[in-house]
Amino acid sequence: MMRTDNAIHVEELTYAYARGVLALDRVSFGVAGGECVGLVGPNGAGKTTLFLCLAGVYGRRDGTVRVAGLDPGRKEDRRQLPAHVGIVFQDSDDQLFNATVFDDVAFGPLNLGLPPVEVRHRVAEALDRVGLRGFEQRVPFHLSGGEKRRVALAGVLAMRPEVLLLDEPSIHLDPRGRREFIRLIQGLEGTRLIASHDLELILETSQRCLVLDRGRVIAEGPARQLLADAALMEAHGLEVPYSLR
Amino acid sequence: MTLGFAQLPTPDSPLRHLDPRWKLAGLGLSLVAVALLRTLPAAGIAFAASMGLAVAGRLPPRWYLVRLGLTAALLAPFVVTLPFLLPGPEGTPSWHGVEVALVLSAKAATLVTVALVLLASAPFVDTLKAAHCLRVPGLLVQLFLLTYRYLFLLGEELARLRVALRVRGYRNRATRHSYRTIGHVAGTLLVRSHERGERVSQAMRCRGFDGRFHSLTTFRTGPKDVVFFVLLAAGSGALVFWDMAQRM
Repeated sequence: MMRTDNAIHVEELTYAYARGVLALDRVSFGVAGGECVGLVGPNGAGKTTLFLCLAGVYGRRDGTVRVAGLDPGRKEDRRQLPAHVGIVFQDSDDQLFNATVFDDVAFGPLNLGLPPVEVRHRVAEALDRVGLRGFEQRVPFHLSGGEKRRVALAGVLAMRPEVLLLDEPSIHLDPRGRREFIRLIQGLEGTRLIASHDLELILETSQRCLVLDRGRVIAEGPARQLLADAALMEAHGLEVPYSLR
Repeated sequence: MTLGFAQLPTPDSPLRHLDPRWKLAGLGLSLVAVALLRTLPAAGIAFAASMGLAVAGRLPPRWYLVRLGLTAALLAPFVVTLPFLLPGPEGTPSWHGVEVALVLSAKAATLVTVALVLLASAPFVDTLKAAHCLRVPGLLVQLFLLTYRYLFLLGEELARLRVALRVRGYRNRATRHSYRTIGHVAGTLLVRSHERGERVSQAMRCRGFDGRFHSLTTFRTGPKDVVFFVLLAAGSGALVFWDMAQRM
């Protein structure tokens, strides 16, 4: 029996796209408050769909979902979700659309209706945390891939979410950008769920991990133990990370 | 990555220090007035006035002339053919056709000049925020902002597709295969834009976007803002009336 006081509580979650393709099939798992959990699986496993269900973007689905005590399926709860759940998308260009870094990071806090002083404070704090203080007036589209990813993260951190969902955080990053971003994730507090193909990143950031394939949770357990299981990795389109070979 | 926003210069000028709301209202009004003009003298005066604005706005000459040249290139086929499309009594090119072509050219140059003055005299987002303050529907403002931002992204997408075609030996030719390929590329671009739009919308909703843009920018109105607006509004109104009087 799963604990229902988890920061993320998912039970029998099933989601199908309009054209009938089943994306998530009776998915159940829980993430305790403050825990960092990895979510691994091949392309098309349903990782992004699961994130979008948790963030309330896909509202209509079967099963029980509670994120930070809110039900993303309920309209009233969905309005409160952005203040509690932050999601960093795979492609930072999807998330950055303002003319300056400041405006982009301030976008979320302004939507929360915070007073200007508090918005400025949160922007400064978030940029500080991601190491981009002084970038306020820079144009987001001119930044490097790593910097863009950090601005996208700052935009989410400025909303001070209890639960953070990171979708492929190391994708398109060069080794140095990737290393810096891993350090950044390690330094974050709160509940984190990280979807990635980068299994070394999962090893470095998460104690526990879930294997998702074809919309189903195949395995769940300590990250080191699961990712070292060559047969499991092979069967689900993954590879044992180099550091565990 | 895109240089979209950097392509807009914001030179320091007297216009730069005006309240963007009054500036937008004044320049917007003058754009409407220019669109209504029909006679050559009025269109000529409007163009001369717009040049004055360009000087006051300290538009970088090269940046301005390149854009004016592009407009001229786009207009050229219509302007050149007008004297022949509106021929004289014996089928020869008519003065009336030449006059219409000149009015069209002057109006287009004026509209482009005023629009460039507007774009270059304040950060683009400030102008959009000013539009919001002037009760321009939020949806329209968002459309401008996002279209402007993602147009460059789609441009890059198209550039990537073109490279992908070229490395597989594709060259533009007047053949059935070329037309089919161009059709497929256009379709792919549309699908990708749709998908991009979906993801952007999801990302915005996840950050609490409820259809309204909020801003920390505050605008202050001073006497010079009002004077600028009144001068532009009065000048535009006078020009339209003079133009109408000439036609009677």
